[in-house]
Amino acid sequence: MELSSLNILFIGAAALLGIGMYGMLVSHNLIKIVVAIQILVKSALLAMISAGLARDEIQLSQSLALTVIVADTIVAVIGIALAVQVRRRIGTLDVRELSKLKG
Amino acid sequence: MAVLCVSLCICLPWIGSIAVWRCGNAHSKLQHSVASVFAVATGVMSLLLLLNPAETPVVRIPMGDFFGELTLVPDGLGIILAIIASVVGSLAVVFSIDYMHGDPQLGRYYALILFFIGAMSGLGLSGSMLLMFFFWEITAFCSYALISFHNDDPKAVSGGVKALIVTQFGGIGLLIGALIIRSYTGSYQIGDFLETAPALESGLLSAIGFGFLLAAMAKSAQFPLHTWLPDAMEAPTPVTALIHAATMVNAGVYLLARFFPAFEAVAGWKTSVMLVGLLSALLAALMATRSDDIKRALAYSTISQLGYMIYAVGIGGIFASMFHLLSHAVFKALLFLGAGAVIQATGTRDMRRMGNLSKKMPFVHATFMIGCFALAGLPLANGFFSKELILEFGLQRGPQWVFLCMLAGAGLTAWYTLRIYTMTFRGQSGEIHVVNPAPPAMKTSLAILAAGVLTTWLFAAGFSALLADSLPYHNVHVTTNISLIHEIIRAPLTYVALLVIVAGGACWQFRDRVVKKFRIPARVTQFVESGYGIDIPYTAVVRITQRASRLLRDAHSGQLNLNVAGISAALCILLTLLLAGV
Repeated sequence: MELSSLNILFIGAAALLGIGMYGMLVSHNLIKIVVAIQILVKSALLAMISAGLARDEIQLSQSLALTVIVADTIVAVIGIALAVQVRRRIGTLDVRELSKLKG
Repeated sequence: MAVLCVSLCICLPWIGSIAVWRCGNAHSKLQHSVASVFAVATGVMSLLLLLNPAETPVVRIPMGDFFGELTLVPDGLGIILAIIASVVGSLAVVFSIDYMHGDPQLGRYYALILFFIGAMSGLGLSGSMLLMFFFWEITAFCSYALISFHNDDPKAVSGGVKALIVTQFGGIGLLIGALIIRSYTGSYQIGDFLETAPALESGLLSAIGFGFLLAAMAKSAQFPLHTWLPDAMEAPTPVTALIHAATMVNAGVYLLARFFPAFEAVAGWKTSVMLVGLLSALLAALMATRSDDIKRALAYSTISQLGYMIYAVGIGGIFASMFHLLSHAVFKALLFLGAGAVIQATGTRDMRRMGNLSKKMPFVHATFMIGCFALAGLPLANGFFSKELILEFGLQRGPQWVFLCMLAGAGLTAWYTLRIYTMTFRGQSGEIHVVNPAPPAMKTSLAILAAGVLTTWLFAAGFSALLADSLPYHNVHVTTNISLIHEIIRAPLTYVALLVIVAGGACWQFRDRVVKKFRIPARVTQFVESGYGIDIPYTAVVRITQRASRLLRDAHSGQLNLNVAGISAALCILLTLLLAGV
């Protein structure tokens, strides 16, 4: 398979997706999970830009990406703020101890 | 004028329902009066509909391509349903002033009842199948919420859920039928469908026809989908009288009568309708003879009488069926409200603990007796005329053996009616004390309904003319009061039927001897009491659902990582499906 620059971009996006998923699966720390979500979103951004490049509509995908970056920042901020509050009130950041469901 | 009347019939109770809700439970007197005013106003509005019936839509609300036009058609069938819903509804509301006195959650109670009245009028008046389905589902919801009104009582809650589950079958059947009709005729209008139905493919038509039959069976509690109705008796008694005796359970009969011209020609449809009616009429009557709970006994009798109406539709007697529907709504509402007065005074529903109440509650006794007259089919009460009409039609049009079974059913009816009456009002005094023999609001409702039982048969002529004028596709035979009376007095069948009724009553009176003569094995009576084992599949479904939920509970661990694993697994499955090109 010929490794064009586009292919490299897509492989990078898939790799980032895998890393993010893996991070969310194995990490127990809330902050780490927020970081993993960030990586996931970055992979989506990369995929979007590459798709725009492939279809020659780079303006559209760039403007969409900008919007996503803004939304994503808010997600990150709120996630971290929640983590801080959880730590203050419950005294731990371990998601295994945060589960309140009985069953 | 007509537009205003038709829309107010639906909107007025709904506005009232919001108004009662907004009153707040702290002002119970205000709630009582607001609910009564709105209910009575709706009743008056529905009576005004009689002034100008129409066979074409008077209200049209265009809703775009997919939903078609939502229309309201005040034709004979629709008007009669709206009148029953709102007049009996207003009497039930008035009755509730005393019956629900001091209940802490009156707002919810009245709001739901008014909401129901509006929806039921709408169900009758709607000319578009989609709108009909919408109202159909609202009535099912109100029925569920009112059965479970005492939501701290587990029996009431499970009864409500059961009613909801069973009637949903019906709702789905109706929706599927409506969608099929829409895709083949391009319109949701009932009138359009009745016009084009003969041109449709017969297989398609029979699919819709039997779907609608299933819907009617679920809604009208017909065998074998009847089990929800006896369990619905946990509802407050005025609700039972309104929803589970006079109005909502009639919706199934109404549906069959409304679409009768379309499915008349479908092979086997009329026979199936007739057999459903026959089975329900007889089996439910048998169960009514074994039930000791006054409300359950009346509920079985409702199923049995609905069976008579369905049978009448099956043999093509639309007018006889609708006439019995009207009579039954009035006398069964009276019987249930009377039972409500008894239950409130004695604090029990068990008839074995009652007895000799005729002296302690003379007024309730008198009205209840009038209701019993109509239920058993004795002369001068409306039930007599409508039942004779059905039986006579059955003799002329239907197969003879079915007619003979229905005649025997009339005897059974007399048996259980006399049983309910004597166990409650005659015989030895029960162990319980009568606290409060019927306050004034209760008496008003009972008196009006009792007067209705004795007089509604006088409207037979006007009713048949109304149906014949406004239903272009139904073949309704117009009668006058005099010819009706003449016909009934001259027909030998009337006397045979009366003889059967007397024989049925005598069977109860001399039950000791009858029982000795025909030894009924204990297993048979147990089988009847257990409701013919129909509940078994239902309880199996409930049990399987509960087991499955217990098994699946482990999946709800609340562990974030586990949830992410689930999400990624689902993503993988979707991706493989996409790549495989399924």
